[in-house]
Amino acid sequence: MAHPAETLQEDAVRELIARHAGPERVPARFKIITDTSDFFRVEYNDVVILGAVPYWVKRYEKEGRFGIDDEPKYWVRRAINLNTGATKILKLVFHEQFETTVGEVTIICFRSPKKEARILDLVAGHKNFMHGHWVLDAAGNIVRILEFIRGPRFDEVVAGYGADHHDYFHRYFPSVLDQYLELVLAIKLLHDHGEKHGDIRRDHILWDVDTKVNRWIDFDYNYQHGESMFGFDLQGLGNILIFLAGRGDVLVADLHRNQRELFDTLWGEDLSIAYKNRVANLKKIYPYIPDSLNRVLLHFSFGANIFYETTDQLLDDLARARADMVSLTGRQT
Amino acid sequence: MSENDFGDLRRRDTERHLLAAVDESDNSKRAVMFLADFFGDSRNVFVTLLSIIPEPSEDFFPGEAERQAWLKEKEAGMQKHLAGYKEILLGAGFQAGQIETRLSIRPCTSIGDAILEEQEKLRCCIIVVGRRGISHSEEFVFGSTSSKILHHAKHCAVMVVE
Repeated sequence: MAHPAETLQEDAVRELIARHAGPERVPARFKIITDTSDFFRVEYNDVVILGAVPYWVKRYEKEGRFGIDDEPKYWVRRAINLNTGATKILKLVFHEQFETTVGEVTIICFRSPKKEARILDLVAGHKNFMHGHWVLDAAGNIVRILEFIRGPRFDEVVAGYGADHHDYFHRYFPSVLDQYLELVLAIKLLHDHGEKHGDIRRDHILWDVDTKVNRWIDFDYNYQHGESMFGFDLQGLGNILIFLAGRGDVLVADLHRNQRELFDTLWGEDLSIAYKNRVANLKKIYPYIPDSLNRVLLHFSFGANIFYETTDQLLDDLARARADMVSLTGRQT
Repeated sequence: MSENDFGDLRRRDTERHLLAAVDESDNSKRAVMFLADFFGDSRNVFVTLLSIIPEPSEDFFPGEAERQAWLKEKEAGMQKHLAGYKEILLGAGFQAGQIETRLSIRPCTSIGDAILEEQEKLRCCIIVVGRRGISHSEEFVFGSTSSKILHHAKHCAVMVVE
């Protein structure tokens, strides 16, 4: 038999759901959860109480990994705040440690709720980051309650610009570069506060259709760094820049198949140091790319002898590249 | 010796003061053995064996107790290595008064920068480091302490032992 207080709470929650979605949508059975330690226990239509606020749990979120089917993230749930009706993302605690490989380098990564909570506090109000707050559940788990961002991935938006690369580069890239600079400045803010993003990938930037800006998401990763604390973040920024300048990844296999004359001009040093199947020296493919921009790209190539250690170094070089883009295209943005 | 107490080290300007930056790796041991071999019979050389332990982020541990336990274990291990390196120098002919060991546990984003800070405080004329010989990609992602020191050291010589 249920405890009276529990019954009362369930009645109150039923009423809230009915008020929000209509009486016919109130589920026959659902759990009220205050301890989210076992996130697999949190099921569709359950209600999680966090900081006295009831959240009606809906679907779990997914994460795409380049060509692999979207992977379900069972600890990340879409939910409705039953007090306000707002859609939120609940990120439950999932301690994960794994190794990832970049080139032949193995990096030990951690998923840290503490880190994400810290950064949410740091970037509250910053337009280029996802926003949210965190609450300790009944068991002391740091649950992050994130605002839902409506909009597509930045890279998907960019890939749709222009009739071809020439058209894209001259008509759209100056504006894309400005947006990228804004994103690098946002990462600089983290670095200036001794924080890493930890998982800089192009699918972690969303174009917010409401605020019309790009926003970084998912900063719960940390990694064991060596001498260069921000090296992995900078490598991620470099990969994104190569993608943006090329309006997609320029793959060696595609060149071999479709543009053999260009393939024959490539050396190993022209390829991305992180992904050896991608071209970093894009000027060989698109000769109208200004030298100043291409020099930045070459910092992320296999032929590079010096690497960026800070966002300031990258931003300095990009300022020159931006000026040259303005000269080339006559466009300020 | 405390973090900010440098004893009479600042007065060693007239001596040849070497800063050997070491960790528990084989390349650090090689660097110390090189020092022992090269300077073992020099009486006007003073060596500070320095080890930096960067304070790890709280993110890597379930709680502060685990973090402190990790630091304690790391410190004990490093003290043992420093004692071993001192033995190597003594065995090569160094006098005890020519060697100082220094272990600094500190928050730092770059071990290279931390070593350079210590060099500046101690006013050593040579920094000695070992080199791991990491791959190009590894240097790209993780950086290299010896490269950092080579590129940023001021008012001193740098000796990189491979």
